[in-house]
Amino acid sequence: MSGFQLDRRAAIRVGGAGLLGLSLPELLAASSHPKACAKSVIFLHQFGGPGQHETFDMKPNAPAEVRGSFKPIQTNVPGLQVCEMLPRVAEVAKHLTVIRCAQHTMKNHNSAAYYSLTGMAPPSDDQRLRDSLDLFPAYGSIVDKFAPASRAIPTFVSFPHVIRDGSISPGQHASFLGKGHNPFFFAQDPNKADFRLPELSLPASVSPDRMEHRTEVLRIIDEQADRMDQSIVARGLGESYHKAVNMLTSPDFKKAFDLSKETRETRDRYGRTTYGQSCLLARRLVEVGAKFINVYFSEIIGGDKGGWDVHGFDNHPQDPILKNHLLPITNQTLPTLISDLDERGLLKDTLVLWMGEFGRTPRINKLAGRDHWPQCYSLVMAGGGVKGGFIYGASDKIGAYPTMGQARPEDISATLFHMMGINPESEIRDRLNRPMPVSRGEVIRDIIA
Amino acid sequence: MRFLSLCCVGISAIVCRAEVPSFRNDVMPILARGGCNQGACHGNLNGKGGFRLSLRGENPALDHLTLTREMMGRRLDVNRPEQSLLLRKAAGLVPHEGGPRFGPASDEYQTLLKWIEMGAADDPQFATLKQLLVEPREKILIAPAGNFAIRVRGVYSDGSTRDLSNRAVFEPNTLGLVNVSPVGVVNKLRDGESTILVRYQNRQLPVSVAFIPTRAEFHPEPTKPRHPVDVHVFEQLNSLRLTASPMSSDSVFIRRAFLDTLGQIPEPDEVRRFLSDENPDKRKILIDRLVSRPEFADYWSQKWADLLRTEEKALDRKGVRVFHQWIRDAIARDMPLNQFAAEIVTARGSTYQNPAANFYRSLREPYARSESIAQVFLGIRLQCAKCHNHPFDAWTQDDYHEFAATFGQVDYRINGNNRKDKFDQHEFDGEQIVFMNRDLALKHPRTGKAMAPRLLGETSPLKPGADSLDRFADWLADQQNPYFARAQVNRVWYHLFGRGLVEPNDDLRLSNPPVNAPLLDELEMQFREGGFKLKPLVRLIMNSRTYQQSAIPGPTNDGDETHFSRAIVQPLEAEQLFDAVCQMLNQRPKFDGYPKGTKAMQMAAMPQDRRSRRAQQSERFLKTFGKPERLLTCECERSDDTGLMQAFQMLTGELLHEMLGEEDNRLGRLISQDKTDREIIDHFYLASVSRYPSPIERKKLEEYVAKLGDRRKALEDIIWGLVNSKEFLLRH
Repeated sequence: MSGFQLDRRAAIRVGGAGLLGLSLPELLAASSHPKACAKSVIFLHQFGGPGQHETFDMKPNAPAEVRGSFKPIQTNVPGLQVCEMLPRVAEVAKHLTVIRCAQHTMKNHNSAAYYSLTGMAPPSDDQRLRDSLDLFPAYGSIVDKFAPASRAIPTFVSFPHVIRDGSISPGQHASFLGKGHNPFFFAQDPNKADFRLPELSLPASVSPDRMEHRTEVLRIIDEQADRMDQSIVARGLGESYHKAVNMLTSPDFKKAFDLSKETRETRDRYGRTTYGQSCLLARRLVEVGAKFINVYFSEIIGGDKGGWDVHGFDNHPQDPILKNHLLPITNQTLPTLISDLDERGLLKDTLVLWMGEFGRTPRINKLAGRDHWPQCYSLVMAGGGVKGGFIYGASDKIGAYPTMGQARPEDISATLFHMMGINPESEIRDRLNRPMPVSRGEVIRDIIA
Repeated sequence: MRFLSLCCVGISAIVCRAEVPSFRNDVMPILARGGCNQGACHGNLNGKGGFRLSLRGENPALDHLTLTREMMGRRLDVNRPEQSLLLRKAAGLVPHEGGPRFGPASDEYQTLLKWIEMGAADDPQFATLKQLLVEPREKILIAPAGNFAIRVRGVYSDGSTRDLSNRAVFEPNTLGLVNVSPVGVVNKLRDGESTILVRYQNRQLPVSVAFIPTRAEFHPEPTKPRHPVDVHVFEQLNSLRLTASPMSSDSVFIRRAFLDTLGQIPEPDEVRRFLSDENPDKRKILIDRLVSRPEFADYWSQKWADLLRTEEKALDRKGVRVFHQWIRDAIARDMPLNQFAAEIVTARGSTYQNPAANFYRSLREPYARSESIAQVFLGIRLQCAKCHNHPFDAWTQDDYHEFAATFGQVDYRINGNNRKDKFDQHEFDGEQIVFMNRDLALKHPRTGKAMAPRLLGETSPLKPGADSLDRFADWLADQQNPYFARAQVNRVWYHLFGRGLVEPNDDLRLSNPPVNAPLLDELEMQFREGGFKLKPLVRLIMNSRTYQQSAIPGPTNDGDETHFSRAIVQPLEAEQLFDAVCQMLNQRPKFDGYPKGTKAMQMAAMPQDRRSRRAQQSERFLKTFGKPERLLTCECERSDDTGLMQAFQMLTGELLHEMLGEEDNRLGRLISQDKTDREIIDHFYLASVSRYPSPIERKKLEEYVAKLGDRRKALEDIIWGLVNSKEFLLRH
């Protein structure tokens, strides 16, 4: 839309003046962007699918095979109980909007994960949904298209895993929007002592001085091709190089990755885990101006040290995994991130989204685990213009189906875009040039502060 | 209300036709003009605000029902017509999210009002539109001229003709360039070119518009071109007052010609020889030599392997190799492309024994087959017509589904599947037999009845009992097939210029006209007459001045990227770039499962990425630079847009640095041969950008080597600079 601005009034005038041949969607897209409440979003993606019964939608009065073995504790928000393993989360309840009526129909991890990462229903419910360029772009890529970050900072950063269940889960990159909108992605572990990004570090054989020399040589050669800059492609290439060199040399962005700048205390508070330090890094990226940050909780769906997929397979009942791994990490990191953002005055315009691809079955299965359940699950938002201490929607008495509220993944996407000041009806075009809105859902207005 | 409107149907039949606005010929077009029934508004699958119209008015009967009956008939009020919600919303008298569309004084409003007053009847019995006439279809206006009128008329089944200029929709495809008044007067907003689509009911015709500045600097080409490509291109350039860029230098030409034919850059010896050759025909001779080199088949079979989805997960390791080999042989032998296509679409039997059968192996359901075949071989993107009539083309939903039925009987016998991942239904490892299963038939999605296959543009279905693939192939390969040759010629042009005469190159349709229709006609004719052969077509195009001109614009054509008044600058493709860097440094990283020395562009398919097998650096490099996964039958899957990760790959990437630092790379070899700094610098210039360094470059770089002290390091820096230069990264 660069260089062509029309407000909604102008759109009406054009229409009223007698159909000047401008098409309505173009006019609408050029107008009516909502006011941005959230400058940045941190999306904490909970791969595997956290169970609502063990986190944010406890059912203490349900039969034993439904309620499970964990007890609820009261938060200081009336009506909001959380799992007893999440006492520190309970302490930040005043910042949270808990959504208890999330739902869709995809039962396989890859299809559901794609749905959760894009807000677009996958073409099929497929255990190995193939990632291809006709699938929808990740949220951050769309944000990069409509509301990019400035300066030498990437809009969309994602780490520290590529999530996959057998094959790579779609929805983690720009897809048909083009590589220019891909996330700045890395798979290095921020919890490692030698954490550094190869992209932002020079090869061992190249000192900063030598890099300086090299760019000098490059300038000598490029000067000969000066006139090529009149082509858009050449200019685009030049701009990418420019931004990359800026990032290589810009202290801001590089410093964001230097976790040693944090006190030991802060680092400990977040937890000395890959996830904990990733969340800390996410905060640092928000501080330098990144706009959409995907932190993936786990690379794989389940297992002792993996994600939330606790079926009870292979003699691994869910309780010990929840108790020793999933819930403690969550209890340590999520509230730390929220209160840290709050203490720094960042929470009011940073939206934190904690969400997996689906929930888990109301009844505990024979293996002492719970299976996939997209029909009803819970997710959490905080900051960035959403209400604090608020519960949206409700589930029935066994947590099987929503009884109130509507929160499909597309509604989450509409809400996210709306909060970021992007009209959910903004149009993008796929590789076949078919127009489509960035979200097909409805903004959940009840949760907006 | 219901009773009333039923009464009115009876009445309207006796009222004089001229006085009663027609629902189909007036009301529906007005809704289209208002934008009411477009996809972003009430034409949306879910409607808007509870009101849904058929997309772009494809179903007038349903829309009539919606308007008159739905919501208990509250949209129209025959007793108090001006109180009708339809009018009040459209005029903005009550809040309307889409804003006011036309005021109470407008002809649109008055016509709708009158129609409601007269009973709001449908009139399917009225004369139907037989032909839409639009004049002019093409207009070039040179400043200061800034407007012209489009005249739209309709010819009806009763023989009458009606002026539709105040009923048709005018849709410019570029925003902010022109505005079109309600009666079809086009006014310039700024200089430039646009296509205005004129729509009425279900017909549409494009009008090409160019508003051009005086361009005082313009001077036509002094000599009259003789080459058929140039004749058409220069005729157009002259009428647009664009002066073409001069011929490219020999250096630029040899590099471009190598890249476009062989996918690789020339070696220093080849460049030296060409630059010093005095033969005036040396370009022609070079083109002939290039087209007959074996790498031509490597490179052009890679393009087809992309389109035909040659990838390991569906085809398995052996499958991609036999299929790729088959494609390569066909290109090397210059098999007529219509025969090539026919062999692919009829292929059956073992995917190991009959390689072409692998095409169907990756397209496992009828819709995927028909959409892919239409796109690759016919240049038609049918996808839109799956759910509704194609909004920008003539194809209906019936056309779509009946064409898909042609491929409804393809079936597979799976002789064992050793897939590594038992949950992955896309993975196949083992031989399969493709066959026609007469018990299968594609069912109509609504009625559930088996559909009779019908070919695109044909009126009657295929004869029952006939082998539908064989019939389709006969039709496809026929000399007179209206789509095939045109689509292929356009694709070849796209590959040689970076932009099709129709763009996107596989989206040929009436509403997306070629930028130069006479040229496409001419090439199509030559291609047919030449027996559908690729190599002569490539030679023909490359010998034109149009192909050989420089990318550097002059004062008149610096804004032109569409009329081929200069070469279009493009990034090297992933494989080209990888192979060029390797060639230049004399290094050859090995790809998993391929013999050492295999170039990126020679790989049948990228080794499959698995959890157990981490992608090699070289594979990651290729992916970063946009090597397609081959999951779409579309060139658009290869993305050459530039981004940060590509820049990082070149600036700090390990692969490049490892090859650069390798002791015995090309640099090491030249040093050990006691070459001077100047010789080495010259050599690498020739090896990378196909030219000698300029005196300034030579001087500065020699100084650089002397100053830095460490000679090897300094020369590495220069090579690094060369591979990161725009001249190297771009095809220009």
